[in-house]
Amino acid sequence: MIKIEKRNDVPMALYFFTPFIAIILTILGGGIIFYILGFNPIEALKFYFITPISNLYGLSELLLKATPLCLIAIGLSFCFKSNNWNIGAEGQLTFGAIVGGGVALLFYNQEGFYILPLVILAGAIGGMIFALIPAILKTYFNTNEILVSLMLVYVSKLLLDYLVVGPWSNPEGFNFPETRQFSDSSRMPLLFEGLRIHAGIFLALAAVMLSWFILYKTYLGFQIKVSGLSLKTAKYAGFKGKTMILVVFMISGACAGLAGVGEITGPIGQLHRMISPDYGFTAIIVAFLGRLNPFGIIFASLVVALTYLGAETAQIFLQIPKYTGQVFQGMILFFLLASDYLLFFKVKILNLKKNELRH
Amino acid sequence: MATDLRISNISKIYPGCVANDNVSLQFKSGKIYALLGENGAGKSTLVKILSGVISPDNGEVFLNEKNLKLSSPLDAKKNKIGMVFQHFNLFETLSVFENLSIDATEDNKSLRVRINEILKKYNFSIDLDVPVLNLSAGQKQKVEIIRCLLRSPKVLIMDEPTSVLTEQETEELFISLKKFCDEGILIIYITHKLKEVLSLCDEVAVMRKGKVVSVSQTQNEKVETLANKMVGQKLAKIKKKINISKNKDEIFKVKHLNFYSDDPFETNLVNLNFSVKKGECLGIAGISGNGQNELFQILSGEIITPDTSIIFRNKEIAKLNPKQRREYLMAFSPEDRISQAAVPELKIYENVALNNFKSSNFFEKGLVNERKIKEHSKKILSDFSVNTDNVELKSQFLSGGNLQKLILGRELITAPELLICYNPTWGLDVGAINYIHETLIKINNQEKSTILISTDTEELLKLSDRIAVIYKGKLSKIMPSEEVTPEKLGLLMGGGSID
Repeated sequence: MIKIEKRNDVPMALYFFTPFIAIILTILGGGIIFYILGFNPIEALKFYFITPISNLYGLSELLLKATPLCLIAIGLSFCFKSNNWNIGAEGQLTFGAIVGGGVALLFYNQEGFYILPLVILAGAIGGMIFALIPAILKTYFNTNEILVSLMLVYVSKLLLDYLVVGPWSNPEGFNFPETRQFSDSSRMPLLFEGLRIHAGIFLALAAVMLSWFILYKTYLGFQIKVSGLSLKTAKYAGFKGKTMILVVFMISGACAGLAGVGEITGPIGQLHRMISPDYGFTAIIVAFLGRLNPFGIIFASLVVALTYLGAETAQIFLQIPKYTGQVFQGMILFFLLASDYLLFFKVKILNLKKNELRH
Repeated sequence: MATDLRISNISKIYPGCVANDNVSLQFKSGKIYALLGENGAGKSTLVKILSGVISPDNGEVFLNEKNLKLSSPLDAKKNKIGMVFQHFNLFETLSVFENLSIDATEDNKSLRVRINEILKKYNFSIDLDVPVLNLSAGQKQKVEIIRCLLRSPKVLIMDEPTSVLTEQETEELFISLKKFCDEGILIIYITHKLKEVLSLCDEVAVMRKGKVVSVSQTQNEKVETLANKMVGQKLAKIKKKINISKNKDEIFKVKHLNFYSDDPFETNLVNLNFSVKKGECLGIAGISGNGQNELFQILSGEIITPDTSIIFRNKEIAKLNPKQRREYLMAFSPEDRISQAAVPELKIYENVALNNFKSSNFFEKGLVNERKIKEHSKKILSDFSVNTDNVELKSQFLSGGNLQKLILGRELITAPELLICYNPTWGLDVGAINYIHETLIKINNQEKSTILISTDTEELLKLSDRIAVIYKGKLSKIMPSEEVTPEKLGLLMGGGSID
């Protein structure tokens, strides 16, 4: 018989170490999948995890993909730490990109140093407003934020679809579903000639520092921590529960909006249908892999960004679909949850006496 | 055919708590048995063992002298033990019939015939084709009962069945239960309501702290004798100092406190009015589940009720939240130490910061002042003799007694004018209980007031200057504690009246 018991003392060191175990297991699991598919697993894993970052361009691409993941995950950590399950970061990213992109399109034929800050600000506000919808519905009408935020993802995506094929489509664009190119003043400055990495990474780093400060050094952070551990205690202490829900959703939405605006003013340069390869969903994995800790999230966003790159390299060199990236992301989450389970619970196999076995 | 159910030496130990301690009981069909006890007395554990949900660490169950191995609810079903839990196990969106057919072994047609027979026989009026969510609590319970009856049970166990029923529905239930009993079904009725035991049951077993403390015929019992057995009244009366609190100012006054909840598991409060004088301890007695939870939360500001007036030190505070009330020098110690008053995963100093009031300067301009909080915590640990001086320690490593000292210290170090505490010594050892009692007496002597909501009558008689009893959300007359005897208290707690 198998018996599962809660462990009383879980060492903190191990708690921060299990993400590494999950990553190692994911790599092993990936090797097995490649082997079953008929590839040399070592070779395939090399294509997946080493080749993409073996040159400067690859490293720049890694940081480029890690930037939105990190930004969104930082925002989500505020929600998740306080027991608010915002699953709709992808929608907040999209809506942020729509609002920011709208401002950029207003200035499509103008130049000026003030344009980019305006576009970024608009993106953050857009994301914030979009995140406020599930937050307000939760606080005042008791709806479930998981469902509302998730469903709003599709609302924003359809809105984007409508805009890029309809009112905002490029008049000189031969009916392609895309807007005009933004003017140079609406684009993120590139950090190095010839590489795509742009100034958006500084936004992500600033978000990391700021979130660390808020979470660990302020009254708001204290309230978030207590609410996440026990809502009953938060109520007893007299925290303003509703205000806090609104604030964490606003922070989360603003971060996702920034990520969206970073993509369209960075590598993309216009609005079209595919502005994000589900960064908003993948960032949920990043947030948990990083243990909802700001610095953990930096590390986790790099690891998960690598699965995106690896999937593209594997598609080119091994002719396997790039959706294997999602397989790897899924495995990371799976192994993380599994090792967490074993961390918090112990499994005992009981030796039953012979006469008991008969029953 | 007669049924004989025997429980022999059942023990179940959870970490830090003996839920069932060598419980032996015998039941025979033709009678209705009551299993009486407060929350946490071990009734539910015993019932879960009988229904196969959990396995005992020790002991055996015999049905008609056959040793039963109950390792899953399925085993209980096979052995014809039926069970109606307090919380219904029904699919709300499915119809009554669909709910009943889920685990049936026969085809729908004959099942419907049999259900209709049962409906007719017991006068149940339920439409089989409406979704369960449209039913009242009483009707849902009938569905659960029908589910048991379909398997022609030998034993029917009802767990706190009336907690969600109206008076009318309760009466109907009792009529049905008596019918089942006449038909030879052995009925075990679990409750903490004394009047129901007396009106329905033939024999009563009282449990306290995991042990069976008495088995008797209900005809030999009265509400107050059962109440005393249930809460473990020691008849020796311990009196505290006589506080000469007459002619003192009223510091706290509650008027028209009403509370209505849609949640059938909460108790409604009906027009509570009381006041507390300076330096006085007002005790509120009662068997748990009679509205104490709701009362505490309203007094602390966790629940705001409309039209209630709460005057504290000449100010109206009824609309203020707990944090704002603290600014007026109120302090609160809830019953639930581990998941409400403190968070086990937080460090000691973080738990101290939960009592954040303006003059503490724990959080200046929205920033955490860690140094200040830690200094303050150190003082609490030494002033209230908590057996550690490490403020970085996680609170989960403190024993119950030390955690309670920390909480009380946190609440009292601000020198509040009024402390409201709810079962402050629940589950603690004698040493810790004495320390906390001394502390509570000390603050009264310093002219500070306390409201003590407690289910422990001994504690109430020891500490209170005046006592009132809460029963089904209503408060009795407030009596000077010199005039209160344990018998009187027992009578009021069981819903009786004195005049």
